[in-house]
Amino acid sequence: MSVVQTTPETPTEVPRSVSLVDCDIHPTLTHPELLKRIAGRWRRHLERFGRRTPMITEFYPRTANAGFRLDSWPEAPGGFPGSDLGLLRTQLLDEFGIDYGILNCLGLLSCHEVPALAAEITRVLNDWMLEWMDEEPRLVGALVVPYEYPDLAVREIERRASDPRWVQVILPDSAEDPLGSRKYWPIYEAAVAHGLPVAVHTAGYWPHLDTGWPSYYLEEHVANSMRMQSQLTNFICEGTFDALPGLRLVVTEAGVSWSAPLAWSLDSAWELLRDDSPPIDRRPSEIVREHVWFTTQPIEEPDDPSEFAQVVQHAGLDDRLLFATDYPHWDFDSPTQALPRSLSDQQRHKILAGNACALYGLPLSARA
Amino acid sequence: MIDCDVHCAPASLETLAPYLSDYWREYTATAGIRLVGMANAYPPGAPTSGEAVPSDYDTLCKRVLETDSPRHVVLNCLTICEAHRNPYYQAALASALNDWMRDEFLARDSRLRASMVVSTVDPDDAVAEVERLGDDPRFVQILLPIRTDAPYGNRRYHRLFAAAEEHNLALGLHAWGRAGHAPTTSGYTLSYLEDYVSNQTIAQTHVVSLVSEGVFDRMPDLRVALMECGFAWLPALLWRFDKDWKGVWREVPWVKERPSVYVRRHVRATTAPTHLPTDQPAHVRELIDMVGAELLMHASDYPHNHGASAGALYELLTETAREDVRDANAAAFYGLDPAPGGEVR
Repeated sequence: MSVVQTTPETPTEVPRSVSLVDCDIHPTLTHPELLKRIAGRWRRHLERFGRRTPMITEFYPRTANAGFRLDSWPEAPGGFPGSDLGLLRTQLLDEFGIDYGILNCLGLLSCHEVPALAAEITRVLNDWMLEWMDEEPRLVGALVVPYEYPDLAVREIERRASDPRWVQVILPDSAEDPLGSRKYWPIYEAAVAHGLPVAVHTAGYWPHLDTGWPSYYLEEHVANSMRMQSQLTNFICEGTFDALPGLRLVVTEAGVSWSAPLAWSLDSAWELLRDDSPPIDRRPSEIVREHVWFTTQPIEEPDDPSEFAQVVQHAGLDDRLLFATDYPHWDFDSPTQALPRSLSDQQRHKILAGNACALYGLPLSARA
Repeated sequence: MIDCDVHCAPASLETLAPYLSDYWREYTATAGIRLVGMANAYPPGAPTSGEAVPSDYDTLCKRVLETDSPRHVVLNCLTICEAHRNPYYQAALASALNDWMRDEFLARDSRLRASMVVSTVDPDDAVAEVERLGDDPRFVQILLPIRTDAPYGNRRYHRLFAAAEEHNLALGLHAWGRAGHAPTTSGYTLSYLEDYVSNQTIAQTHVVSLVSEGVFDRMPDLRVALMECGFAWLPALLWRFDKDWKGVWREVPWVKERPSVYVRRHVRATTAPTHLPTDQPAHVRELIDMVGAELLMHASDYPHNHGASAGALYELLTETAREDVRDANAAAFYGLDPAPGGEVR
């Protein structure tokens, strides 16, 4: 069913030099490589005791190729998908003509360690990503921070933020406390102060279970969208966006199409309960519209592609969608094939590059 | 019209005394156990909670049967969620609540149907209750609160579902449930607003679980009603679910068709809360087309109040769809007689 377009298109000024930005690339620093970069007692600690938190992949093994694109395994022994810059360059950046790719390193997002070790792992991961960015100017990075220790996380942001190649701070979608809670506000304040969006990526170690453990990876993977719905609901209901008007949240790898229904239910419930909730002085849908961006992968694929265009319109997401491949994971979205054909050329252009340029201040050369 | 979600609850444990054994009467008295009317889920002062839940037939008559004139009403008693974790108490309370509903409501009005309450901690006890009452056609489904210990597709529940299928009982998944776990995957909720909205997210976990664990393949006649959990989230969920299944189906070989096919065949959702905008009819119409009005069953959710959008929903439906949502979909789902002049689809 088609509906008359009522919202005027607001074209985003896209620098001609940028036509494709990949907002979700996963580099991996293998454990032996991580150990090599850590000295002294923390190396001894890791060698003797390992890391404290089980990975969610141990609970829910991926069904094939450990969850990675079959061709993303490097030939060199000891390599792991996402560990070889050369391969990433060939398979991703060159193959599709990607102008900028954001490194979203998940290496700390599923672990809970003592503060000093968490800070040490953070330092190593960020240093290592810088080496890649030095070598490959098309890569920019998401800062990994020891998020359970906001004071240390703020220190890491302060230390790194002057380098414009750090374009966002990344957090997992499940943590000790709900992400909207005051505990994490110092991280957001630091990010806002340095003009960095905060990406929330599906990851973490599931300390909370609303209704118990599911059994299968299929369920875990679908639940990525539900966990993000919970977190976004929490950001709204704890008044986080009202307290931090500059906060820009990038919902990463959790889907797009649930945005309008969630915002609608929040609006409707808020109308009834506004006196009982923390100060939220306007419709939650307006807050989402203003503060939240969504990466596309894994993009929903309705049988009728026009329905995807409809949900984009329902949520007013034209300026809020960011293309992502999720390289090197198995459910990689191809820049040439993934976007539903129901989207207009202008929408595609914004999704593939324009929105990311506006959000992240790309190209870097255009920055002061 | 069939109203698929109307609440009832005993005013206090004294009401249930005739249905409890001496042991449990003494146990509850000496332990000082009281019913609090699910105050966490429905704070008495919150505008969403509405007036007191009917605790007797006359009140139900006055407030629902005489005002809305439904052909049938499905009663839901959430009091079972107030039971603590002692499995023997759960089982005793479930039986007492069912017996009370039979005497107070079902025996007094042929329009009334009810969800059978069962222990939510021990599936064997739940099966025993289904065996005890399953031949009473006035119980049309088993009440399963969505906040529970494990997603409902989990194998621990399959024997309960087999019993449900055998006795032609649907599963009625209802918002709220047991307190104890953090209510969301994010953690504990500080505001009632967040807790309230979260039912819609939690319900999705159960839909995914029921399909992924092969429940509908093992029990092809099983039907599931989602009550008070919303429905606007269904299209986005099913698109993602279908896509993921295409990628990892090897893990769940018993899921032989696309997940959305199972959901559309076996699952229905009640209309309250609707939680759709009242000022964007074109968008809502598109959403309803994506959901499919054939999946919706009318509910007043009396006495709860979810705002104005339920009315707005009906204004957007075609006349046929409106009648289906108000009556025929539920008649077919619960095997109730078709409305005079109507037909069961």
